Amino acid sequence: MDTVLLQAIINGLLLGGVYAAYSAGFSLIFGVMGVVNLAHGELIMLGAFTSYWMFEYFGMDPYYSLPFAMVFLFAFGYLIQKYIINRVIEMPHIMSYILTFGIHLMVANIALKLWTHDFRSITTSYSGANAALLGLIIPYSRLVTFFLALLIISGLWFFLNRTETGRAIRATSLDKEVARLMGVNIREIYAITFGVGAAITGLAGASISSFEIISPEMGLQYTIIAFCVVVLGGMGYMPGALWGGMILGVAQSLAVTYLSAGISVAVTFLLLFVMLIVRPTGIVGKGLVA
Amino acid sequence: MKPRSGRLTFWICFIAASLAVSLIPFVATSEYLLRIITVTIFWIGMAGCWNIMSGYTGYIDFGPVVYFGIGSYATAIAMTKYGVPFFPAAVISAFSSALIAIPIGITTLRLRGAYFAIATFAFAETMKQIALEFDRTFGVSFFQGSHGITLPIGGHENTFFFYCFLSVTFAVILVHYGIEHSKFGYGLKAIHEAEASAEMAGVNTTGVKLRAYVTSAFFLGILGGIEAYWITYITPADVFNVHKTVQMVIMTLLGGMGTFLGPIVGASFLTILSEILGTAFVEYYLIMVGGIIIAIILIMPRGIVGTIKEWKGIRFL
Repeated sequence: MDTVLLQAIINGLLLGGVYAAYSAGFSLIFGVMGVVNLAHGELIMLGAFTSYWMFEYFGMDPYYSLPFAMVFLFAFGYLIQKYIINRVIEMPHIMSYILTFGIHLMVANIALKLWTHDFRSITTSYSGANAALLGLIIPYSRLVTFFLALLIISGLWFFLNRTETGRAIRATSLDKEVARLMGVNIREIYAITFGVGAAITGLAGASISSFEIISPEMGLQYTIIAFCVVVLGGMGYMPGALWGGMILGVAQSLAVTYLSAGISVAVTFLLLFVMLIVRPTGIVGKGLVA
Repeated sequence: MKPRSGRLTFWICFIAASLAVSLIPFVATSEYLLRIITVTIFWIGMAGCWNIMSGYTGYIDFGPVVYFGIGSYATAIAMTKYGVPFFPAAVISAFSSALIAIPIGITTLRLRGAYFAIATFAFAETMKQIALEFDRTFGVSFFQGSHGITLPIGGHENTFFFYCFLSVTFAVILVHYGIEHSKFGYGLKAIHEAEASAEMAGVNTTGVKLRAYVTSAFFLGILGGIEAYWITYITPADVFNVHKTVQMVIMTLLGGMGTFLGPIVGASFLTILSEILGTAFVEYYLIMVGGIIIAIILIMPRGIVGTIKEWKGIRFL
């Protein structure tokens, strides 16, 4: 294999890790509640900005601000679900799509008002540092996010399978009515689920702030990518986010290397479209079908 | 089916309303007013197209703008490259959208719920990217990429476009009437209620869904063609803009999904509101739109028409 191809694949896998990190929460929220969260990108944006302001005001390293982003986004997600989305959760799902789109517009535009259109970035001592290995380049910060994605997904697995709350969440997603009969407080569980989904998304958002450009309007494009990743891996199947992320990352990276950067976006959507038609349960076939 | 007197009332109302609306250009006091009314009628047509498919069947189409965009490009390319006059070009738009909708409908309409929504959305974004990147990637000059296409200026007054949009919107409204009073319409509503049972009861669900999908694509194509000629300049980012889809969805939802008057009420209300808010509070406009969407969903999830129906216990039209 030549170096160009190998480099493209490595870039794709690292990109895939980044994608997986911020898509797992989308998958969790869809899997448990059937909500397609169109404000997902805003959760990433808020996570990234938490990190950014911590760095600006306190000079805090973006990686130290991860827990703060997590706590802040958990509270944000919990409250949004508890006081807004829960009110339409029993209605047809279209209501939640439109509602979360309304939330997307509000959050993005309030952030725009507060923080302006400026493109910002965090420059640390290790920004842009790479590991060189056999003529291949591996950026450290992406590598960290890649491992963070693995950590997020395994942590989520542990939480869902080994804790009381996690089991209640799984029970609710399997059969809401029976879970209710067994004494599970469905609305509380939904609020916690959204909170957890938002927290891991905020965590991913904070971790990408060290190498991506951030602005209040960044959200929608991230929502779209999360969409694609989650469909490719299987909606509602958490490890699927890793599969989906890798596939999409490698496909995009190859398209950028051998075709053009512009057409790589078309490749993304074509892949998504074909996947939905041929295999709506995702590449490993474990996703939910509506 | 409704008794004959109900139909008669409808036709009297419809003809009276169309006459009244047709006279607007003669009484509109300013070009600005006429323009706002034209835009309102345009959006009633757009929202109506979405309602035909998604409002009645409950299949949420998140990519209707793709047929609008295809229509815009068909008109633009026919007029600039092949010198086709405007009216035949608009017809070409309608048929190209409808023709593309057939294979896409056959493949995507098998999907349910969120999957259908995402697939239609993905298709719309794909077409936008293709329109943007096709020329550069393959070294041809067809869609003109992000430069967009400038259409020949016909020197028509706003009145001309007012009547163009008005006739399409009337056609869309008549399709709604047809849906409310035909077997086809019952089929659509049955799909909304319980698709499997409808199929067992002998409704050709795939055929009915496809007809609704292609019909809405047909009218979106014409609307796209007229809009392109009105604005005279189109770019992929503009005509395939996801905000057009969102606008159609929100207008229909605000008015009332799957109701005859829903798109008319919703589109009129929102266009006029955004005209007022957009000029008075330019900076806070989108925040307010977001807030209004959230409020509608929380306060009256059935939309204006649906809520009134519920209160009064009446079923008009």
